[in-house]
Amino acid sequence: MINLRRFLAILSVASGMFAVEVAFSLVPQNLLAFPASDRAPGEFPDKWIHGSKSAMDNQDPAVQVHRFNAHTYILRENKAINYEGAFMYVFFGNGVALLIDQGSTSSPALFPLRQTVDDLIVAWEEEFDQSGTQLIVANSHLHGDHYAAWNQFVDRPNTIMVGLTHEEVMDYWGFDSYPEQRIEFNLGGREFVVTGTPGHESSEIAFYDKWTDLLYTGDMFYRGRLYLEDWDAWAASIKRLRALADDYPVSYLINNHIEMTDQATVDYPIGTTWQPDEPPMEMSLSMLDQAVRATENISQSGIYTFDDFLIYNEVPWAYTTDP
Amino acid sequence: MRIIKIFLLWVLVGAASLSQAHMLNMTEMRFEVAEGAPAVLRVRVDLGQSGLMNPDAYWAAVNASSAAEQDERLKPALAEMTVGLQVLVEGEPTTMFVQSYDVDAVSLEAIGNPLTPQMAEVRFGFTGPQPVYLDQVEIRVAQTLDVPWPCLVRIDSFDGLPVSRLLTAETRSSGPVVLGVDGGLSNAGPLVSLALKFQAVLPSVSWIAIGFQHIIPMGLDHIVFILGLFFLSTKLTTLIAQVTAFTAAHSLTLALATLGWVQVSPHIVEPLVAASIVYVAIDNLYAVQVARWRLAVVLIFGLLHGLGFASALDAVTLPEESMISALLFFNLGVEIGQVAVLLLAYLSVGWLRRWSFYRTRVVEPASVTIAGIGLYWLVKRLAF
Repeated sequence: MINLRRFLAILSVASGMFAVEVAFSLVPQNLLAFPASDRAPGEFPDKWIHGSKSAMDNQDPAVQVHRFNAHTYILRENKAINYEGAFMYVFFGNGVALLIDQGSTSSPALFPLRQTVDDLIVAWEEEFDQSGTQLIVANSHLHGDHYAAWNQFVDRPNTIMVGLTHEEVMDYWGFDSYPEQRIEFNLGGREFVVTGTPGHESSEIAFYDKWTDLLYTGDMFYRGRLYLEDWDAWAASIKRLRALADDYPVSYLINNHIEMTDQATVDYPIGTTWQPDEPPMEMSLSMLDQAVRATENISQSGIYTFDDFLIYNEVPWAYTTDP
Repeated sequence: MRIIKIFLLWVLVGAASLSQAHMLNMTEMRFEVAEGAPAVLRVRVDLGQSGLMNPDAYWAAVNASSAAEQDERLKPALAEMTVGLQVLVEGEPTTMFVQSYDVDAVSLEAIGNPLTPQMAEVRFGFTGPQPVYLDQVEIRVAQTLDVPWPCLVRIDSFDGLPVSRLLTAETRSSGPVVLGVDGGLSNAGPLVSLALKFQAVLPSVSWIAIGFQHIIPMGLDHIVFILGLFFLSTKLTTLIAQVTAFTAAHSLTLALATLGWVQVSPHIVEPLVAASIVYVAIDNLYAVQVARWRLAVVLIFGLLHGLGFASALDAVTLPEESMISALLFFNLGVEIGQVAVLLLAYLSVGWLRRWSFYRTRVVEPASVTIAGIGLYWLVKRLAF
């Protein structure tokens, strides 16, 4: 029989290991919580920086950084640098940050996106006592006005570059059946749902953030000219977004551009670098419903006007030769 | 009416230009290489908006009355592209030639407007030896070549995922991309490429390494079990007999489980593995010498540990076409790992075996510790 002394020694070793494990579990981990149950509040700016009459004299920052909430940032490219005035997003989770889209200008001298994001990560780590944050460089879709500064990140340490081909995007997010599939994506404890939304571009994806209830719709739905290369795919994508909004609470739809004025049905001309009368960037579910109704009523290519957006449905190249 | 028409034209020109994408006139390059097919570089470029041709010259080329005339009009631009685009394979420049091209445009006005890109596609072939699997390829655009920026480079090679790179006016090189490897191993040096080639010839090397990793550092419970065997066997021959029995047994169940012939839930296997550690350690405390039946017990525990390896190996996908050899080499790696553990143990305390206090000062404290660790794992694995 095992003697008591040895038995106690064995028990002490096992208890010691448990004690060490318990002690480690009690050490504060600085873990940030992103509960999906409560909607994390956030604020949009009253007015985005919207260019200037003279692009040459523009004194605004190259990248506007707006703190939506402590762990969510919305960036906008200065319209004086590129008229697209594209929006980009940085979502933080524990140990990882997700940058979606990289604007319309490649030159770091003109458009220092990498520096801006690096500064943002350093400040965020300092504020929340975090370190070693990995960056994921991803895209809502594969159009050049949303990945022009992608190159600024390729040599960044501790960075995942999702890639700029359809196959790389599908592989990274884990799509087996694009676009219908809903992917559950965990960004360091912050849960997202990613789904396919082709129509404007054939690799487009939408991101739903369960923490803020924001639904990021990229270029396929925003306040502006919705250029559709594939109507059927877009119509299905709009319905897919509506179904997602039926299954999850959505606070706002957020996106890539503002091209409308604050006057219903009226957009700024293409190439505008000063938009003093912009409406907000964020959109509501009632606007999505309007798009859903449009998918049921539109059957031909052409331009269709709505209060908050315009649909440019498969407008053919031949129009350019119209005398 | 005319004003309305002009307005409509302006709107529609804009619409058409952007109906597929913003910033349409960026340049795109696609390098394709596949098994048994010659490599091709496809370049889509807004020639009329590049420094290679002015809009009038491009429009004239599009409307040429014969193929010969079109060739002649495009010749200077294509020659400039042939020189200005450089594809390096293994660091050596290749020689490209224009294989074919398509030029198209709807109007001179459209060519002149950067918002209505009229893209040409030029396909280049390569003379000389074709790039092969795991070669490093680099695509460069010479400073002298003026194309609309940025330039998206896509490299499709063999069965791997495509690799994307973005070139800009400032960064005119894709950097080395290893063909056939997902992600292209950005910034891979020649040594990495060489190692990959070696591995391609001898895939077994990687399976030995993976097997080794499953002992050191990933297989802590197996290390502890082997140490348990080590502390009882004072004779080298006994130790070798036990370790060999253990190895043979876990190789058998690992093979059976990997081939899908045996399936046992890790919820059962893992606590039993922990129990085997406790058993061996306690046996060490009471057995003065190795009992004959201990070999049978080690054999049974070996079967258990093999099932444990199988669930760990689940995370690694074995290649279907060479599963048996991969398994054998994985086992070999496991054995090398085990031998390494025994060697380290011998170097640490094994040489004290003839010391009269070896049993009381080394074997017993070590066995108590091993039993404690085993007990901790056992409770944890049963509880969680």
